[in-house]
Amino acid sequence: MGVKMPDLPKKKVGIVACSGEEMAEGTVTRLAALRVLEQLRPNETVTICLPLFLAGGEGDRAFARFYPTIAIDGCDKRCAARGTEMYSGKPAASLVVTDVIQTKHLGTARRLSKAGLEAVDVVADQVAQQVDELLGVKWDRKQGQPSKEAQPAEESEAKIATCSCGSGIPIQKVRVDSQEVTFIALPLIFEQFHDAGKLPGDGTTAELMETVKVYNPIPDGQEAAYTQAVIREYAAFCQEKN
Amino acid sequence: MTRKVVIVPCSGIGKSYGTVSREGAYVVTEDLRPDTTQLVPLSLLVLGDEQARADVAGAQAITIDGCKLACATKMVAESGGTVAHDLAVLDVYRRHRDLKPAGIAELNEGGQQLAQALAEEVMTLVDELTDSLPLSQSNGGRARDGGQDA
Repeated sequence: MGVKMPDLPKKKVGIVACSGEEMAEGTVTRLAALRVLEQLRPNETVTICLPLFLAGGEGDRAFARFYPTIAIDGCDKRCAARGTEMYSGKPAASLVVTDVIQTKHLGTARRLSKAGLEAVDVVADQVAQQVDELLGVKWDRKQGQPSKEAQPAEESEAKIATCSCGSGIPIQKVRVDSQEVTFIALPLIFEQFHDAGKLPGDGTTAELMETVKVYNPIPDGQEAAYTQAVIREYAAFCQEKN
Repeated sequence: MTRKVVIVPCSGIGKSYGTVSREGAYVVTEDLRPDTTQLVPLSLLVLGDEQARADVAGAQAITIDGCKLACATKMVAESGGTVAHDLAVLDVYRRHRDLKPAGIAELNEGGQQLAQALAEEVMTLVDELTDSLPLSQSNGGRARDGGQDA
């Protein structure tokens, strides 16, 4: 029996831009990301600020575990790609502005030149194409919308806001033995199991834990304690629902 | 050796306040106090870039954050820098309620004016910090003309 993934916004792609403040290419990444997020693929993309991987919580660090991500970097230091991989998960695709744009006359970080603004268009278009490839969507450029014959099998509306500042993947803190442990996506997993009529009990435990483990590594030797804690919390969740 | 005050804005991309923090940092480092300040990109600190860490290590830093998560402040502290002042754009906005920012890719007029107001607050703090430095570390080229260095 396969593990049914929680009903998370799987049909979205995460965009992570380096936003490098010291170079025009960094501004190109920022504006290109915004172009994709706000204009080109607003319903298919979400974003997070790169430093939130460090400054944010566990939910923020789980970003790339939930979304296939595209990293947009301004230079070959590749802060966005490397930072995403280091703290969250390997990006599904990455793009470096200096690989895509040959001109060096992009303006300044503060004010892009005409060439810089054109570079934003080029980079944004490439990122939008990568979004489509990751989602398996063919884009009808004449109609300016996904072609009808290639719609994804199911649309999954985002149930969680995952914009930059403050939002993230839902988490739940659970006491395991004497320690407080943060479980990623637990509220959604509980919701999904409850909605499916899978009530607490022996028949549900194995499947529930399989799903929980997709997003939450369980330390060696602590499987029993984790299982006991999750089952206890799920029983409380169901009791509250009923 | 001249040690500049490090200015670190947040990289917020989800709200106007992030753009205000970025624009305000440019106003300070390029227009108001180019000789006594240095902008350090947050993304490089996230990656632990050696040069960026060296720039903040031991320097006085002013961080500008666009939201309560305070990424810039946390990253500078984690990188070994001294956060002399941490400004929140929202606090500056509370002092200038008439300057409501809108837009992320491009700030509206209110946002641009808020960035200028923010920058002037930062400039005052920079001046306090550089005045407190020993002569051997301070930059003597700063003009006292209300913030319009050549």
